[in-house]
Amino acid sequence: MIDFWIILTASLVATTTAILGCFLIMRKMAMIGDAISHAVLPGIVIAYYISHSRASFPILIGAAASGMVVTYLIQFFHQKVKLQQDASIGISYTFLFAIGIILISLFSGNVDLDQDCVLYGEIAYVPLDNLSIGGLYAGPRQVWILGTTLIIISTSVIVAYRKLVLTTFDPAFASAMGISVVLWQYYLMAGVSLTTVVSFESVGAVLVIAFLSGPAATAFLLTKDFKKMLYLAVGFGISASILGYYTAVWLAGSIAGAIATIIGLQFAIAFIYIQFLKKARISETLENKALTEV
Amino acid sequence: MKPSVETHNLTVIYDKKPAIWNIDFTLPTGKIIGIMGPNGSGKSTLLKAIMGIIEPNIGYSKLFDQDLEDVRNKVSYVPQRQSVDWDFPASVWDVVAMGRYATKGLFKRLSKEDHRMIEESLNKVNMTPFTNRQISQLSGGQQQRVFLARALAQNADLYLMDEPFVGVDAATEQAIINLLKSMRDEGKTLLVVHHDLHTAQDYFEHMVLLNSRLVAEGPTSEVFTKDILTETYGGTLTTLSKVASVLQEKDFPMRHK
Repeated sequence: MIDFWIILTASLVATTTAILGCFLIMRKMAMIGDAISHAVLPGIVIAYYISHSRASFPILIGAAASGMVVTYLIQFFHQKVKLQQDASIGISYTFLFAIGIILISLFSGNVDLDQDCVLYGEIAYVPLDNLSIGGLYAGPRQVWILGTTLIIISTSVIVAYRKLVLTTFDPAFASAMGISVVLWQYYLMAGVSLTTVVSFESVGAVLVIAFLSGPAATAFLLTKDFKKMLYLAVGFGISASILGYYTAVWLAGSIAGAIATIIGLQFAIAFIYIQFLKKARISETLENKALTEV
Repeated sequence: MKPSVETHNLTVIYDKKPAIWNIDFTLPTGKIIGIMGPNGSGKSTLLKAIMGIIEPNIGYSKLFDQDLEDVRNKVSYVPQRQSVDWDFPASVWDVVAMGRYATKGLFKRLSKEDHRMIEESLNKVNMTPFTNRQISQLSGGQQQRVFLARALAQNADLYLMDEPFVGVDAATEQAIINLLKSMRDEGKTLLVVHHDLHTAQDYFEHMVLLNSRLVAEGPTSEVFTKDILTETYGGTLTTLSKVASVLQEKDFPMRHK
């Protein structure tokens, strides 16, 4: 049963992040997940300081708030100050992360809070924190939280699919049609903030970032249809979760590490496959040409 | 007749330097109108300000005597081809279908009528055989045709096009200008950003000459003159010599049909 819960947790995170990841990589913003997962630190510390508890709800609110702050900062530096997108991301999240570290060191004397416990969730612990409804065992708490997140994100993406695709592909045209590019940017980023925050609490920051960019990038190599790219990315995310878990069991190693490695391998295989396909296609056309010339 | 586009004191400032300055004009309907000017003269900015993509710092514009919000579905904007990532996973059909989204709600499926318009638009730009082609596999000229088909699918009355002739082959250029002329004959108004002086006279009946501020605006025969062109392009030697060569040959049409 432990196997099942861990794989389910990873798959839920994989599905949500893969969907968002497809939009992010097409917007050249894949590293926004990295930014948000670090930038939430001050929000978490402040929320903890105010509520004096490690209950997840206030922490979640604090994290989501600083997630939106970093999104706003990135947008502001990029659009108003005309700084490059990657530079805006770099400066914004390191700044907020640094503030978070200072806050932690200020409070650390009398507080049970450190970088490890806020930044690096451990997926192996997921089955230990269970929820019971009316005295009945209802599965790990994280599974419920992540399941709800998945429903929220996928519904939001389905509802706004056309606008999201249009503002991703051709923002100027979308804007000329009266669609607010900035509004849909924030809509997407709010989703990324929520997902990153709830996910890294259960699977750790590194795996969240790997899930956000890896499966979407692999899917991008293999298809030229955005809808198929979404399905493929989800498929790669889930299969990496299953394969990664059993690899970790087999090696008796870190689960998050193994899943992230599988994500990397999937990309490598897809890349080699594409190169092979290209070569085959070129030699085929050459042969056809030779035949017609004869 | 209602004017197609009018701007009043339209000014856009980037980093304290004005991109367009105090632009004031009223353009006729049913004409192919060229927006000409040297690089960095604010041609694209002018289109974007008219379409509300960039908020002007001062001034406003009206389309068909109304605010942009009220006539949005009668106006189509064709961005510069290079402004989008053509590696985006989409087919030619997907991109042209975007032209139909504006009038559709969030959920509404494309109707039979929408499908018919998409097919017709593709046919008008001779891209029907490429309907299912991935956009990453198109040539520059084909990409431009796809953008035009998307605009046609919007079935607008006014089209604002940003450099539709850049990086396209001669055949496509001719096909595009023929298409623009047939649209004009249907009573549509076309506002086209262009930078090639050699072809300008043949393509446009009316012109806006821009160099951050408005240099001249009027029928081509009146504004495409030596003095105005020197004033518009003055400053850089290369463009000046270009102007000189255009004027030398001015009595002889450069393109024979």
